[in-house]
Amino acid sequence: MASEFELSRNITIGQHVPTGSFIHRLDPRIKLLVFTILVIAIALNTSYVGNALGLLLSIYLFWASKIPVSYGLSGIKPAIPFIIILAVLQLIFQGNVFSGGKVFFEYGFILITSESIRLVIVSAVRFVEIILLSSVLTLSTSTTELTHSIQSLLSPLKKIKFPVHELSLIITIAIRFVPTFAIEMEKMMKAQASRGADFGSGEWWRIIQRTKDMLPIIIPLFNIALSRAEDLILAMESRCYTPGNDRSSYSVYRAIGRDYLVLIIGLLFSALLLFYRFPY
Amino acid sequence: MEPIIALENVSFSYKINENSTVSVLKDVSFSIFPGEYVAIIGHNGSGKSTLSKHFNGLLTPNTGEVWVKGHNTKDDSKKLDIRKGIGMVFQHPDNQIVATIVEEDVAFGLENIGVPRQEMKQRIDQALEVVKMSEFRNRPPHHLSGGQKQRVAIAGVLAMQPDCIVFDESTSMLDTFGRNEVLQVMRKMNEMGMTIITVTHRMSEAAEADRIIVVEDGKIVMDGKPREIFKHKEVLMQLQLDIPAVSQMAEMIHNQIPTFSKELIHEDELIDEVKRVSKVRSGEVV
Repeated sequence: MASEFELSRNITIGQHVPTGSFIHRLDPRIKLLVFTILVIAIALNTSYVGNALGLLLSIYLFWASKIPVSYGLSGIKPAIPFIIILAVLQLIFQGNVFSGGKVFFEYGFILITSESIRLVIVSAVRFVEIILLSSVLTLSTSTTELTHSIQSLLSPLKKIKFPVHELSLIITIAIRFVPTFAIEMEKMMKAQASRGADFGSGEWWRIIQRTKDMLPIIIPLFNIALSRAEDLILAMESRCYTPGNDRSSYSVYRAIGRDYLVLIIGLLFSALLLFYRFPY
Repeated sequence: MEPIIALENVSFSYKINENSTVSVLKDVSFSIFPGEYVAIIGHNGSGKSTLSKHFNGLLTPNTGEVWVKGHNTKDDSKKLDIRKGIGMVFQHPDNQIVATIVEEDVAFGLENIGVPRQEMKQRIDQALEVVKMSEFRNRPPHHLSGGQKQRVAIAGVLAMQPDCIVFDESTSMLDTFGRNEVLQVMRKMNEMGMTIITVTHRMSEAAEADRIIVVEDGKIVMDGKPREIFKHKEVLMQLQLDIPAVSQMAEMIHNQIPTFSKELIHEDELIDEVKRVSKVRSGEVV
């Protein structure tokens, strides 16, 4: 019962697992870049062999970063219903779009071909690969490193007046305040519960009722968020924050040999997935 | 001596809507000089926080002028210079930390004013050393206690090397231990030559200062040394203020033993006075 209110303990954003492995010590910008390219390559590859390779690579990366694969699997668990629903929908409705290959089953508008089965299997595996890859990324990189990399990778966009630093500051502040608000919400739930409010005891399908139950928490939480934001603005302004100003940067990353090596391997692998015509 | 902050006939009112305003500061004038340790006291709603926000141009007066190191706070082009000179620490330790790692938060202000990286590192080391938070430099702020967070916030201001730091009720959210930590840092910085302005409603904290300014209903009603101010117990009581516990105790003893001085404001003074009156020295009864 008490654990119902312990929100701050379950925060998993940026669940950084420091093992000090080779992957952890890579330049985070390179990691983020290679990750992005790999995800694109995987998303565009439609072959069995290509995706099997992708899956092997994701598992290898877990091994290389000395993080138990179970961490990645726990990330897949909540996605399983979506994967299944997606697979069923694709199986039923996509047969006429991906109509190539052998026809296995035909009834009314339902058409199951070897191509549509390929689509179903490949998309499910793809899902798993991408979840595993992003788990490796977030488990081996701290949120600070990630926001810095985003800022650094997007910095060419400054030329077209894209507010790169502002964006990364927004992400940083959002992450910074997640635990604060979790603690706040915990207090609020306890305060409301001690006055007889009832959360989460309604059946799960009564969505409207359950949403209404949350209102006495959500509204004060918004209120607090706004007043905190106001305080934060004053504090930032007092420390000379001026949007669009030229700033210096405290954390500097320098890519070394192994980072470039990883970048090249990543690019080659992605090129393989993107351009090589796998037989299956 | 050139004052670091000078207020000339400052009046300020908050606008509630088109037709009505609430007047908060009424024709306030005073100066603060380099190296001073000033406490601004007043009950809730007396205007002391609004006053403190005028010191670095967060608010600008409706009439009158505020001069900071010779710059008018209404001059937008000087805003950065003014804020570089006057640092500010606020009430909620949580609401002034921007980054997810302690040292990055200290770096935030330095990044804003474009300090080169090498110098930044050095300044961060120093600032964290002064507030004794060096060992926590790689921690996320939400794992720190209130007093520790507040010290991080102070380090963030300190690293910018301002001439003056304004503490806007910075100890009111802290427990006794956290408060003492912050007070120690304040005293240390003042000894290093920094001008300290602390806004508080805690009399024992105000007694630490060299000068007290009492604010009531947007006006300065008293301005002087703590000992002078705390002599006027009746006036302070009328302003819903108090005198430090030490002074209260001294007065109670004075009522019993007239030779016992009632004008005491520090703990060690109280101990010395007890020793003097009871003629106890170095543990021996004379």
